[in-house]
Amino acid sequence: MEILKTLLSRRRFLKATGTASALGAAGIGSGLLPTLREAEAVPASGPSEPRITKNICHQCPARCGIDVYTTNGRVHAIYGTSDHPISNGKLCPKGPLGTYILYDPDRYKGPMKRTNPKKGRDQEPGFVPISWEEALDTVAERLNNLRDKGESHRFALVYGRGWGASCAGLQGTFGKLYGSPNVAIGHSSMCSDGSIKSKQATDGNGSYNAYDYAHSNMLLMFGVGYLEAFRPYNNNMQVWGYIRGVKVPKTRITAIDVHMNTTLAGADRALLIKPGTDGALALAIAHVILTEGLWERSFVGDFYDGKNRFKAGQTVDPDDFEEKWVKGLAEWWNIELKDRTPAWAAEITSLNERDILATAREFGTTRPAIALFERGVHAHSNGILNGMAVHSLNALVGSMFAKGGLMYQMGPSYGDLPVNADDYQDDYAKNGPWKDQPRIDLKGHEDGYLLANNMLQELGPNSLAGKPYKLDTVMFYLSNPIWTAPNGQVWEEAMAELFVIDTSPFPGETAMFADLILPDHTYLERLQDAPTYPFQGWPMAQLRVPAIKPLYDTKYYGDVLIEIGKRIKGPMGEYYKALGDTENVLRHLAKGFEKDPGDNGVNSFESWKEKGVWYKKPYHWQQRDGEFYEWDGEDYNRLMSEDEVKEKLFKTESGKFEVRSSWLESKADWIAAKTGRDRSKLMFPHWEEPKHPGGGDLYLVTPKVALHAEGRGANTPVAIANLQPTLGGRDQVYIEINPVTAKTRGIGNGDRVRITSEVGSIEGHAKYFEGVRPDTLVFPMEHGHWAWGRWAKGRMPGHCGEVTVNQSDRVTGQCSYYTTKVRIERA
Amino acid sequence: MAKWGMVIDLDKCTGCQACTTACTMENNRLPGENWQDVLFYTEGTYPNVSMKWFPRPCMHCEHPSCVSVCPTKATYKDPNGGFVLVDWNKCIGCKYCQVACPYGVRFYMDERAVIQPDIRTVFPSNNDRLWDPPYKGPQDDPSRGIGIQPHGVVSKCTFCYHKVSKAPAGAVDLDEDIRELKEHVPACVRVCPPKARFFGDLDHPDSYVNKLIADKRGVRLKDETGNKPQVYYLSGGAAAAVPALRSMTDSDKS
Amino acid sequence: MTKTTTKEIGTLILALIGVGIVGYLVMQTLGGQGHAAFNTTNLGVHWGLPIVVYDYFLLTSTGLAMIAALAILFGSETFRPIVKRAAWLALAGLAGGVVVLMLELGHPLRALVAIPTSFAFESPLYWKAMTIGVYVLALLILIARMLKADWDAKALRGHAILILVLAMFITAAAGVVYGSNSFRPFWASGDIPVAFIFESLLGGLAFIYFFTYLAYAFDAEAMPEGVKRLFNGALPGLFALAIFVHLLFVLARMVNGLYGNVEGLQVWQHMVTSPLFLAEIFIGLLLPLILMLLAGTRTRPWAQALAALLVMNALLISRYEYIIGGQLVPMFKGTWAPDLLSYMPSTTEWLLLLLAILVSNAINAFGELTLRLGRER
Repeated sequence: MEILKTLLSRRRFLKATGTASALGAAGIGSGLLPTLREAEAVPASGPSEPRITKNICHQCPARCGIDVYTTNGRVHAIYGTSDHPISNGKLCPKGPLGTYILYDPDRYKGPMKRTNPKKGRDQEPGFVPISWEEALDTVAERLNNLRDKGESHRFALVYGRGWGASCAGLQGTFGKLYGSPNVAIGHSSMCSDGSIKSKQATDGNGSYNAYDYAHSNMLLMFGVGYLEAFRPYNNNMQVWGYIRGVKVPKTRITAIDVHMNTTLAGADRALLIKPGTDGALALAIAHVILTEGLWERSFVGDFYDGKNRFKAGQTVDPDDFEEKWVKGLAEWWNIELKDRTPAWAAEITSLNERDILATAREFGTTRPAIALFERGVHAHSNGILNGMAVHSLNALVGSMFAKGGLMYQMGPSYGDLPVNADDYQDDYAKNGPWKDQPRIDLKGHEDGYLLANNMLQELGPNSLAGKPYKLDTVMFYLSNPIWTAPNGQVWEEAMAELFVIDTSPFPGETAMFADLILPDHTYLERLQDAPTYPFQGWPMAQLRVPAIKPLYDTKYYGDVLIEIGKRIKGPMGEYYKALGDTENVLRHLAKGFEKDPGDNGVNSFESWKEKGVWYKKPYHWQQRDGEFYEWDGEDYNRLMSEDEVKEKLFKTESGKFEVRSSWLESKADWIAAKTGRDRSKLMFPHWEEPKHPGGGDLYLVTPKVALHAEGRGANTPVAIANLQPTLGGRDQVYIEINPVTAKTRGIGNGDRVRITSEVGSIEGHAKYFEGVRPDTLVFPMEHGHWAWGRWAKGRMPGHCGEVTVNQSDRVTGQCSYYTTKVRIERA
Repeated sequence: MAKWGMVIDLDKCTGCQACTTACTMENNRLPGENWQDVLFYTEGTYPNVSMKWFPRPCMHCEHPSCVSVCPTKATYKDPNGGFVLVDWNKCIGCKYCQVACPYGVRFYMDERAVIQPDIRTVFPSNNDRLWDPPYKGPQDDPSRGIGIQPHGVVSKCTFCYHKVSKAPAGAVDLDEDIRELKEHVPACVRVCPPKARFFGDLDHPDSYVNKLIADKRGVRLKDETGNKPQVYYLSGGAAAAVPALRSMTDSDKS
Repeated sequence: MTKTTTKEIGTLILALIGVGIVGYLVMQTLGGQGHAAFNTTNLGVHWGLPIVVYDYFLLTSTGLAMIAALAILFGSETFRPIVKRAAWLALAGLAGGVVVLMLELGHPLRALVAIPTSFAFESPLYWKAMTIGVYVLALLILIARMLKADWDAKALRGHAILILVLAMFITAAAGVVYGSNSFRPFWASGDIPVAFIFESLLGGLAFIYFFTYLAYAFDAEAMPEGVKRLFNGALPGLFALAIFVHLLFVLARMVNGLYGNVEGLQVWQHMVTSPLFLAEIFIGLLLPLILMLLAGTRTRPWAQALAALLVMNALLISRYEYIIGGQLVPMFKGTWAPDLLSYMPSTTEWLLLLLAILVSNAINAFGELTLRLGRER
């Protein structure tokens, strides 16, 4: 009986404590636990209904709408929003992990300042908490001082994933009012500018493409990691399920990469190409399309007499060819394509001639077809040429702006801000000495990268060298180039000299060198807008709605900017006082929806918050059989004039798709001087051997994988545990090595190895993998952090950036992450 | 009452593991405790290499060998719905069910943490459970193995019992695209981006899962064991494939 | 006090000290890390060395019990000197195994209640556990009935039949626990319960030899005539036969394993070349077999004690290779696990083996002291 009584009372006790802990209250003391070990676990009392708030995922730029489930003040689940056009109720493997990021135990709890004046990897910063007042005043004082000294250009603001008008969108104005060419410097050159610039060179749109995959019958993927990382990843997979499992006819897919991944495995044809030679393959495909007469005549044009004169090795008379929407095709043929046979490309790419020919024929005969590419193709010294070559295939088969083809993204109908920044520029802002200073990264400068969009990878080295000058203060938003930049070791030296402000809510390498920490909210706590990343063309704007009040004393980055702005002397301060805060900004943006309600009825700030997304279908333009039509409210009925096409779609000098790029031609002298390219050829996509620095004998390629949760994947235990399923990398990432390569170097399966280039060396464990080229090492970029949180720190293998040489494509400015050659040996 | 079953179309599966992570977060699993897992296999020699993958939840067998071997009846087959569940108040942690499951879907998480530092020490439980993450879900029913497990017991996929069992009476196909049903769809099915997973009543002759099984020749994994899984696979030769299980690596490569 | 008694007390004290030290160490690691102190993982080796130890001691126990029962039933007076020792040793061995099992289970105390009340008739473990309960009781009563020095074998016949049936049932059920997993061909075989019974008998014989010598502190001269007669008479032949039969079962499984292509049998390819397996066959079984067959050695006390010790080790290896080997091929783990798992017991797991040995020895020594096992006359 006594035992029974004890048991009963224990049960009641547990029931009570169970309820208490479910409510988040403090539980029982741990001293009691051992005696309760054998007692039954008893369910907590019934929960209240979850509250769902709208947000968008932060773990890649795709901007998937998410439903955030909160019960009793705890966020406990994330699912895709059903009526969101990108997520459609679905998520990629990163999406559900967002709750973990909110409750990351390594988060910073509030603003802090550094007490240890020494900076270095092993220097503990000695952060002490300060008030937001003190933090913001400190920044403002520095900025005011710089301005007073006429050195405002020595303040740089660096950003990574800019989301929308209420965060990164505020930065340009800040720079204009404050007076610094370095506010703000984006990360695009370390992302995929090679693609953007290849498109600018050919069709005049400096942007990523929007794609109509669902209507396409063939996809030719060059180094894109479509089923690993290509954005919007979640939607790509939804499309994959449709085009591969539902659609009739099933869309054919050929995928090209340097190692076997899920994309190649899922494709109909997998081609393992030599790194940096995708351009040669594309040229050979173009060659076959022309010699076999497979090009889309209604779009490209044709020989006047309809007779195909494209014969391997023979030139044609350009006057015989009537161009339609593609400029310079015959000249391209004469100067480059005529000799680019599959046999030639087989030599360059190491692929089988048979497979090149089959791919070209399939691509040339299947309509609509899309050739898509990203960094695998263009993160090399010849990137612009490779990118143009691949993109030109889309023109040859008439996919530009076609149904089942590719187009460009439209922007949302945002309202105007309450105040106009131009009214608040003082003389300093308009004509201060900063106007004579180049950007620190020499973007747009003859000595640097004249044609680039950004050159963030140069900021650290340039400031360190004092060329063009040394910075004084640098502030980071969602960016960690001290770790992500190639050869980031140089950045560590550079940052040690500067006053560094980090706005990340998490510890990291930048924070280790920071003097001030101004922690942002995590995304589930933010009110933040985000127009869509290139998707299907039609405009869309999402909103992050806080699921809960901020857990800690953090502040939204947009508001941090505004608050700093308020503290700058002169009219700039007045501007930010008039702007108020980011919620005010968002309310004004939303006013645009009143005039232009979204398809889902969003017509106000309140309805935007409720639905989480404003969007308006359809895309406005379509090319059919070589004619361009505009949406007239019912269908693509209105025929467009050539001038309209030039203004809205082909934004090149000729108003056509230019295989002879007038943009490159206009800078031919500079390009020829800096790259040594032939002046007569440099405006055409052509084959050029890539330069592989590093001094090694093996290519090192470090792709993104599905669980690379942008920023935080390395410190998210569930992401770590599932990061590399292809090789079984459970608590680390393995270096993929071909068994032949390994054995000739005496490396056993699973051995600890050292990878070395002329800039550094890292260690990790190698695993045999038949799916990787014998001349290439592959491992996903993720680990090797030396700060970043308890799970990230020191996880193997070392960071690839430490062996990657800082080499960029001189034309696009693209950081060549996948081009360094390294050595590998047993460690 | 329904006999719930799952159909996984391997032609559509992209091997992304969204099922795995959605399950992990919905059910508060520890890192590496993949109730739902995606398994990868590689065959062939460079340059012609085939990589395959295979999503694997618990099969919720009609004749589950794990149930018959359990010496305390802690593991049981719920006649209402056909779920195979574990009563954590009866489980003694003998692990016989783990040994007796041909599909490797059961977990005993008192062992050394897969990812260090051990997240159980970062989010310790004050309620004699294994751990207590701040993001844990509100559902908690130890008698069905739902919620966070106490020490010393075996855990497994519940087919998201806490969601499915509350489906409106008469629902035959739990499809996430039907708005009023989406909260009753297992997490792995609901999240699956290429829509490779379907969930419905196998006892209902006209359910969509039965249609798919019939039209696309659904197969059950290791059917020779007689466990009769309630999970069916559709495969038409895509990259995802029912694995032969046999280790595929040559000995000199391993 | 005789010299033997002094040594028995010494054995008891040493064993108790050992239990104290090892028990403390085990409690330290298990108390601090829980089952994280084991090297078993969810990749496939769910049952590690502790289960091997448990089953090893359990099957030895049933073997001893079977020998005791058979001796009562058919052994006449010849076997009388070992009956009581075998019965007590059966209990002592079982206790060591059960202690380890309790430390291995997730909820040992719950098991004591949950299994009897579950009526899980389909589970071999249910039958095994329930029968062990009755078996322990039956052994205790048997020993009680043999407390008087002049116990009568004929009067115990019914009791012996009961114990024989229980012991065989437990042993067979233990075989079914493994043998019924049809998808693990390394384990699955209809003859496994039979093989287990013969293995048990062999273990029982080895233990009898070894612990009898231990009881007399390996002083053969001190042993009573009856024991000597038995040890030099029928027993070496029986021992040799038991080794031979066990060897047949192992080799038969090996040949089947090496020829079979079924998934799971590839473990044999790795196992037959392992030093552990070779040691088991050549040193653990063949050498004792020869020692027990050769006229020059079969009656030598050193040879008998050595053969017993070697066989005891061989059976532990055999048990280890069988239980672990059946789990080395991972079930649906893809790349997360290697083609063949590798498993090495952790320090804590080795300590549990030590703990079982020490507990059994302590109990046995206690019995030798208080019950005067086999020294009634």
